[in-house]
Amino acid sequence: MTSPDHLFSSKDVPSSLMRQTLLDRELVRPATDRPVIRLLPWLHVVTIGGRSIMDRGRDAILPLVEELRAAFAKHRMLIATGPGIRARHVFGVALDLGMPTGVLASLASTEAEQNGHIIAALLAQDGVSYLPHTSVSHQLAVHLSASPAAVSNGFPPYELFEFPPAVGKIPPHRTDTGAFLIADAYGAARTIYVKDVDGVYTRDPATAADGDAKFLSRVGAAELLAMDLRSLPIDRLVLDLMANAKHQEEIQIVNGLTRGNVTKALRGEHVGTIIYKDS
Amino acid sequence: MADQEDAGALQSLLMSRSLTDAELLEASDTAPDYAILPDANVVKIGGQSLIDRGRAAIYPIVEELVRAKGEHQLMIGTGAGTRARHLYALAADLGLPTGVLTDIGSAVAGQNAQMLGHLMARHGVPVVGGAGFGALALYLSECGAVVFPGMPPYDMWQHVPSEGVIPPYRTDSGCWVVAEVYGARSMIFVKDEDGLYTANPKTDPDAKLIESTTVDELIAMDLPDLVIERPLLELMRHARYAKTIQVINGLKPGLITRALAGEHVGTLITAA
Repeated sequence: MTSPDHLFSSKDVPSSLMRQTLLDRELVRPATDRPVIRLLPWLHVVTIGGRSIMDRGRDAILPLVEELRAAFAKHRMLIATGPGIRARHVFGVALDLGMPTGVLASLASTEAEQNGHIIAALLAQDGVSYLPHTSVSHQLAVHLSASPAAVSNGFPPYELFEFPPAVGKIPPHRTDTGAFLIADAYGAARTIYVKDVDGVYTRDPATAADGDAKFLSRVGAAELLAMDLRSLPIDRLVLDLMANAKHQEEIQIVNGLTRGNVTKALRGEHVGTIIYKDS
Repeated sequence: MADQEDAGALQSLLMSRSLTDAELLEASDTAPDYAILPDANVVKIGGQSLIDRGRAAIYPIVEELVRAKGEHQLMIGTGAGTRARHLYALAADLGLPTGVLTDIGSAVAGQNAQMLGHLMARHGVPVVGGAGFGALALYLSECGAVVFPGMPPYDMWQHVPSEGVIPPYRTDSGCWVVAEVYGARSMIFVKDEDGLYTANPKTDPDAKLIESTTVDELIAMDLPDLVIERPLLELMRHARYAKTIQVINGLKPGLITRALAGEHVGTLITAA
């Protein structure tokens, strides 16, 4: 910091960032280059897909809930839910009405929250509650000291402040991204995405001809982005954000329709696709 | 008729495709645009640049804003300033993550909004935030202006920067996103310099004023320092409404009024 003295005044609070625009990388670096600590190093973030799990109803949800309940003895977790088909419907109505991306994000977030209330209700007898965003950011520690798990809205609290996307109007920050960002902020041990596919395939296994869809059991985030696959079981923004992650060196996508997968993934076993930070 | 076909195609893509599907994203681009508050203007009052200067800078600005609200609807966002810098420096030195810095930094923009709100209270101007945004339309039509804390509510879900832990999306981005989502008429950043310079004019005597530029030019120039948050340039590339912003000097009386009237009195930054 080499600004002339006359710029300082009693109106400044002395600090290593005083009078900075916070935009000059050379000036900011020395004040902010400490390694980031893990706030909740024992936390597991488990994301339950909206389209992939919740929309399938009882047959998919109840066995998964049983599996999570059994895992509570060993793991403390934040369960994040996605919105599923109702978000698609409300996007349709809102787009037709001319609404902007920020409004779409608020509307879809409400649906993800409702799915969170459903999972929390099923786990209430185990001491699990639904937490709004503000509790997740301020009181997660006390909740997870009193209870093995908490459920939250997978969507991040961007809502009206959602970024306008590069193409079209669909909000870019959705469940996968919200779960990833909160997991990295807390320095969580693991981030697990529970979906209805075994992981990442080079083609959609549901529509590709036999043999065309190759399974990727371990792949780098940047490498996967560069493959530019037509469809992915996880939002591309997560792969972008992995490059800057402080703690989340890898994430795992597992098939929640196969009994035992979530339990194994929580133990650190490789049962789906692991995407790792490669840039 | 073509519109109805487009809408039908979009509905069917929404129900069947992944939300990352390229065709679906392109179809969503064809949906109509409805500007929610097309007469509102977002005016951001800088934290470090103006509010931290206290009465000398702020009283004349409040007077000017009060006069202007008779003619223009104003959404007045606040910056954070020197206390946020102290918090960021302290928290970064303790190894705390970007999410925590965002959360504690946003309180400072909140304090500034509270003070500006008290100064404008006798003129009927309320402070809004969070759920209060639901009543924006009423406040703007009844009182002509609102004050809001400029920090976006990203909290623990803030993006992590490529190096260090300073929150990349702060009050410039928060105010701009408000202008964009409501389809506002203008976005004016009120700071303590005449606009954007080739370097920080406070520390570099050779810094030259840039009267008008584009987002793409600014990204290409990659200036070492900048008068607005760098990631905002990337957001502006995708704007539907807030494609032009103006950075003006709030220490010079009358410039806010002239900028609201559409005059070019600072630096104009435009997205192609």
